[in-house]
Amino acid sequence: MQKSTDKNHEPSKLGSFFASDTFKGLLPFIGLVVIVVAMNILTQGKILTPKRLRLLLSQVYYPMIVATGVFFVMTLGSIDFTEGSTLGLASIVISKLSFYSIPLAILGGILTGAAIGAINGFFHVKFKLQSFIITICTMYLFRGVCAYLTTETAVPASAAIKALDMNWLKITITVAVLLVAWFLFRFTRIGNDVKAVGSGETAARFSGVKTDRVKFLAFVAAGALTGVAAFVNVIKVGSITATAGNQLETQILIALVLGGLPITGGAKVRFSNIIVGTLMYTVLNNGLVMLGYESQTQQLIKGVIFLIFVALTIDRKALKVIK
Amino acid sequence: MEKRTLLVADSIDKRFGITHAVDNVSLTIDAGEIRGLIGENGSGKSTFSQMLCGIYSIGGGTFRLDGKELHVRNQVEANNEGIAIIVQEMGTLSGLTVAENIFLGHEEPFMHFGVKDARAMNKEGQRLLDEYGFGHIKAADMIDHYNFEDRKLVEIVKATYMKPKILVIDETTTALSQNGRLELYKIMDAIRADGRTVIFISHDLGEVLSHTDTVTVLRDGEYIDTVRSADMTEDDLKRLMVGREIGSAYYRTDYGEPISDEVVLTVENVSVPHEISNVSFQLHRGEILGFGGLSECGMHEVGKAIFAASWDRTGTVKLADGTEIDSITTAIRHSIAYASKDRDNESVILNESIRNNIVLPSIDDLASHGLLSGRKLTAFADKHATDMQTKMQSVNQFVSDLSGGNKQKVVLARWIGKGSNILVLDSPTRGIDVRVKQAIYALMADLRKQGKSIIMISEEIPELLGMADRILIMKDGVINGEFRRDPALSEEDLIAKMV
Repeated sequence: MQKSTDKNHEPSKLGSFFASDTFKGLLPFIGLVVIVVAMNILTQGKILTPKRLRLLLSQVYYPMIVATGVFFVMTLGSIDFTEGSTLGLASIVISKLSFYSIPLAILGGILTGAAIGAINGFFHVKFKLQSFIITICTMYLFRGVCAYLTTETAVPASAAIKALDMNWLKITITVAVLLVAWFLFRFTRIGNDVKAVGSGETAARFSGVKTDRVKFLAFVAAGALTGVAAFVNVIKVGSITATAGNQLETQILIALVLGGLPITGGAKVRFSNIIVGTLMYTVLNNGLVMLGYESQTQQLIKGVIFLIFVALTIDRKALKVIK
Repeated sequence: MEKRTLLVADSIDKRFGITHAVDNVSLTIDAGEIRGLIGENGSGKSTFSQMLCGIYSIGGGTFRLDGKELHVRNQVEANNEGIAIIVQEMGTLSGLTVAENIFLGHEEPFMHFGVKDARAMNKEGQRLLDEYGFGHIKAADMIDHYNFEDRKLVEIVKATYMKPKILVIDETTTALSQNGRLELYKIMDAIRADGRTVIFISHDLGEVLSHTDTVTVLRDGEYIDTVRSADMTEDDLKRLMVGREIGSAYYRTDYGEPISDEVVLTVENVSVPHEISNVSFQLHRGEILGFGGLSECGMHEVGKAIFAASWDRTGTVKLADGTEIDSITTAIRHSIAYASKDRDNESVILNESIRNNIVLPSIDDLASHGLLSGRKLTAFADKHATDMQTKMQSVNQFVSDLSGGNKQKVVLARWIGKGSNILVLDSPTRGIDVRVKQAIYALMADLRKQGKSIIMISEEIPELLGMADRILIMKDGVINGEFRRDPALSEEDLIAKMV
C-alpha cells in the first residue's frame, strides 16, 4: 500500500508558477479584472455607470447562451463556425412563426438550430470530416439562405413577441440555460464523456465512450442553444436583416478563449470559461466603442489580445505529446 | 586487442526542475566494446545517452572522446564527432523518402550548386540498404509506405553508415521482430570487430547478457557498478538495478495444472481484411491463453477483433451464454477488458487525470439515477489505483506525468475496477521495468486463480513460456501452431512456428 509522493512534478520556482496550470486557471479572472479596471480608467469611469452597465448586460445574454453550446463542441477539441448563420436563420423562423403562436415560434427556432447542428454533426461523425471544414461550408450555405430570405425586405416579428422584451425574462432564460448546462456538465456522464473525447478520442472509445454519439449530440446542442439565443435576439431587435448574427462565431470563439478555454479542448476546460469569457469580451467590445476607436482599430486590438491569450492558455502537451 | 579508452564521462549531471535525472555519473568505455546500459524506468540511462548525443544539453560535467572534450549542441554535430543514436521512439520523418531520411542533415555530397541530385541520393541509399541486407526497402519510396519495424531498419542504416565511433542503441529491439533483432546484433558485432563501440540500452536482460561485453547499471540517476557480462546472471543484474533481492517468483512456477473445460469465449472464423483470416479458438475459465508471433503476424489485431474494435471484422465472437460481441460497448458491458499495445493512444487518455481514466468504463455503475458524485468517483479511483500500487501524488495527477509502468497500472486498475472477467492484454509489459513487470505477472497469476480468463498477446517469448497455460502462434494472419504449458517447451519450438 504505497502511495509515494513523486517529487518530479511540483513546480518550485516563480518562473514555473507562470507556466503552471494554477496560473493558467487564474489568468482569465485576472484578465477580466484588468480589462474592467483599464476600461474604467480609460473611459474615466463612464463604463461603470448604471446606464452603461444595463446596456452591457443587454449585450451579454445571447452571446452567453450561444457560448454555452459552443463550449461543449470546443471541449471535444472541435470547432463550430455556424453560430452566426444559425442565429440568423433561426431568428427568421421565429419571426415568421411569431404571428401564429409564441411557443411554436420558440420551438421552431430551437428545432432550426438543432437541425443545423445535426447536419454538422452528421458530416463530422459519418464522413470523418474535420469540424473546421464542415462548419465553414455550412456557415456559407446558411448565410446564403438567410440572404435569400431577406433580399426583398427585413423580416419583421410580431408585436406580441416584441412585447416580451423584458430584462427579467432574458436574465431568467440565460441563467436557466447556464444552470442546466452546468448540471449536465458537472453531475452526469456527459461532462466526463466530452472531456474524455477532447483529451484522447481513441482511448476514450476503447474505454466504452460512445464517441460518435457524444460528438453528434454536442453539435446538436450547440445548434439548439443558438436557437434559444435567436429567440432572445428576436425579442430585442424585432426585425431580422441579412446581417443578423454576422461574425457571431468569431466573437464566441474569442470570448471562450479569453475565458481560458484551451482550443484543444479536453480535461482542462472549466465551466467558468463561458461566463468569464463572455463578460470579458463584452466589456472589451464596449470599452473600445466608447473610446471612439474606428472599427478597423477595434478589430486590430481584439486580434492582438486574442493572440496573446491563445499563446498563454494553449495546452502544448495536447498538441504534441512530449515525454 | 589492446585496450584503448574511447569515451570518458566525467561527473555528468542533469536536472529537470527538481528531478535529479542524472547524478554525477562518471564512467569510461573502451574502443571495441559493446557496453550494456541498464536500469529501471527513470534511472537516467536514456537521459545520460541523449546528453552524449546532443539531444539534451549537458547539465554538468564533461564527455571526452579520444581525449578531446565534446561540445555538441545537436544530433548533427554529434554525428560529425562520430556519435550516433537509434532512439526509442519513431526516429524517421514522415513525408520524406527513405533516402532523404538516411541522409537527413548530411545532404552535402548530393548537392550541386544548391540543387539536390535525388537520383544520386537514391542510388547511394539503395546501395547502403542492399549492403545491410535490407534490400526489400526501396530508397526512393516514401518512408510512410513502411511499417514501424522497417522504419527502424532505415534508422539503423542512417545511424551507422557513416561508421560512428560510438553507436547508442536506445531500447530499439522492442520494436523489432526476431529477424530484425538478429540483423541488429550482427551490426553490433561488426562495429566491435571494427574497433568501434556500441552503447546498448535494453530492458531485456537476457538480450543484454548475451550481446554485450560489459554492463553499466544506473539506479535513480546514480552510477551503481560496471560488471563483466560473462560473470553475471539475469538475477544478478536485477538485484543491482533494484537494489534488493527481487525474489525468484518472476513468472508462474506451476506446471501440469489442468485447464478448465468451461469455455467462456468462442471466436469463430474471425477475419479482418489484410490482417487476419479465419481465426478460431476457444478461451477457458481461469486460463491464460498466450498469443505469439512476429510483430506483423496479426496477433495484435486478434485482440482488437475480440474487443470489437477492428474496423471491418467478419465472423463471430461469442460468450458462453450466446451473447455476440459486436461493439466495444457490448464487450465492456459483458465483462471484456482490453489493454492495447499502443498504450499512449489507445489505452490511457494522456491529458486527463488518473481518476477520470480509471472511472471511464465504470461510470454508469457509479452513477445513481444518472447522477455522478465527484467524491464517489475519486474514492473508487483511489481504491483501485492504490491497490495496484500506482506511484502517484494523487488520483488528480495527469497520466501524461507517469512512467510507462505506472500508466499500465492505471489501465489495469481501470479494468479490475470494472470487474472484467475476460482480459485481453496486448503486450502488457512492453517497455516496463523489472519491478512493475513482476507486479503485473503476479496480478495475472492472481486473476487466473480467481477464475478470470486472460488473453496475453506478447512479442516476448520467455513471457509466453512463463505465464501462459496454452500458447497459439500466429503467422501471416492465421494460427500456425498450438502449445500446452510445459517446462520442456523451448523458445526454438515457438520460433519454428513463427517464421
